[in-house]
Amino acid sequence: MKSYLLSIFLFIFLAVGPVHGAGTDAAQANTETSPSIVVVGETVETTTEAPDKTADPFQEEYENGEYTDNGANAASKEEKLEIADPLEPFNRAMFHFNDKLYFWMLKPVAQGYKEVVPEPVRISFKNFFSNLGFPIRFLSCLFQADFSGAATEAGRFGVNTIWGIGGLMDPAASKELDLQKQDTDLGLTLASYGVGHGFYIVWPLFGPSSPRDTIDLAGRYFLNPLSYITPWYYPLGTKALDVVNATSLSIGDYESLKEAAIDPYVALRDAYIQYRKKQIKRKNNKAGAAGVQLEGNLTKSGAY
Amino acid sequence: MTALLIFAIGGTASASGLFGPPQTISREAGGLNTSIGYSYQEDKFEDNAQYVFRQNQVYSQVSYGAKNRWEIYGRIGVSDLTISDAFTSNNASTLVTSDSDFTEHWKFFGTLGAKGFLPINKIFGVGAFLQGSYYFEHFKCEVAGTDAGAPFTADLKVRDLWDVNFGIGFQATVPYDIKLYAGPYIYYSEAKANLSANIAGLKFGTQKISLENKSIAGGFAGIDVPLAKGFHLNIEGRYSERFSFGAAIGYKY
Repeated sequence: MKSYLLSIFLFIFLAVGPVHGAGTDAAQANTETSPSIVVVGETVETTTEAPDKTADPFQEEYENGEYTDNGANAASKEEKLEIADPLEPFNRAMFHFNDKLYFWMLKPVAQGYKEVVPEPVRISFKNFFSNLGFPIRFLSCLFQADFSGAATEAGRFGVNTIWGIGGLMDPAASKELDLQKQDTDLGLTLASYGVGHGFYIVWPLFGPSSPRDTIDLAGRYFLNPLSYITPWYYPLGTKALDVVNATSLSIGDYESLKEAAIDPYVALRDAYIQYRKKQIKRKNNKAGAAGVQLEGNLTKSGAY
Repeated sequence: MTALLIFAIGGTASASGLFGPPQTISREAGGLNTSIGYSYQEDKFEDNAQYVFRQNQVYSQVSYGAKNRWEIYGRIGVSDLTISDAFTSNNASTLVTSDSDFTEHWKFFGTLGAKGFLPINKIFGVGAFLQGSYYFEHFKCEVAGTDAGAPFTADLKVRDLWDVNFGIGFQATVPYDIKLYAGPYIYYSEAKANLSANIAGLKFGTQKISLENKSIAGGFAGIDVPLAKGFHLNIEGRYSERFSFGAAIGYKY
């Protein structure tokens, strides 16, 4: 019985993915301070954003009396809007739980998978699963009145499904078509309506989140076509493949974040909040450029 | 064109999808191209009797080609099947009350093919292709009626439908990189069929029979037009006793 329960637990863990998913996002936020190749959600993108530099970072660190690592420090200085963490003891416990699961289970599996599956195949799988995320991105764009983003997503989905062999390839992102994936989700949609983060929470298996982003987690489940495949273990199996595949393409990101931080829990929390804030800012800038005034709503409500 | 007309006499068209232009549309350095296509096919099969097979096929294709000389490709698609008058009775005491046509909806098929091309000059060239298809699932249709007043129902199964095609295509590249092509082809196709019960007067029985294509040759002609942003439109027709046609939109990576 114990071995049965253990195997089910292992399967669920692989299916939903532990801290790594969120850690990936967080790692991105941490690495966004310098131009590099980072992982955004399920896709690998090249960040060309200029680093957030102060006039003299070393001088500023000295003046502030702070000698923490530069990435985390930059993040903490930029992130003046802190998130409440009333569940810190629980969150820390979950952080360690997820951390151990990542290092003891997901990473070894992903490393083995990486050894046997060539990178082009893994990238094709990543494209396939990303293509299946179309409903949540499309609806999020619509709910945000981002009709150009919705049209781009619909075009991407059509082109990649038909000419990308069911989404295994990404011809839509080619130079000629230039239909780029929209970096949005239901959490950002709620933010655009002025819903704030709420408090910080670390979910077992799912990683860093907030009440607002937890709604996004639920939305991702219900809007993912794979969730509706029967019998029940098919969606779990495909999700496990998705998580292991994505992890195999980003091994080292979470480790870098952890190694660079004095308190990995705080670093991950700050990086997560900062990353979400940047996403909201980016969407806000886009909406502003399109003539939609969301800035006031977001600032007033503290949705950052 | 003479060759096309010669080979077009006496055949019926059979293939799963288009043959396409003899020359690959992939980049010269080598690359993928993918397409989605629709094809309407008609073919005449026979054992002791003759049957007209009609199919609507929708497929997705991925190809790899290089040097403007060669290409290999694979397709996965779905097809329906209609066999005209499959359930007509030649026995006065047997009355078929269901539709006399065999009809079945979408079943999966796969196709593999390869083609080579030899340019003669900047405009003209000649190529050859070999293409084969197999239907992974069987087609099934129920027939109902009365036999000497007693009601009956039976299922006709058509299974292991496959075909292989070989052709030679002559191509002319005209302005705007439009490719016109035509040529003769030969083919063989086969299917197994059997009825779940012996019904007097019906052409099929419980014994599995092998249906083969009546003719072995035909002709084809088509056009490939480059569209914007790497897309291509391919339209093709095949003619022998009947006319078959199809169209595909491809994307060059």
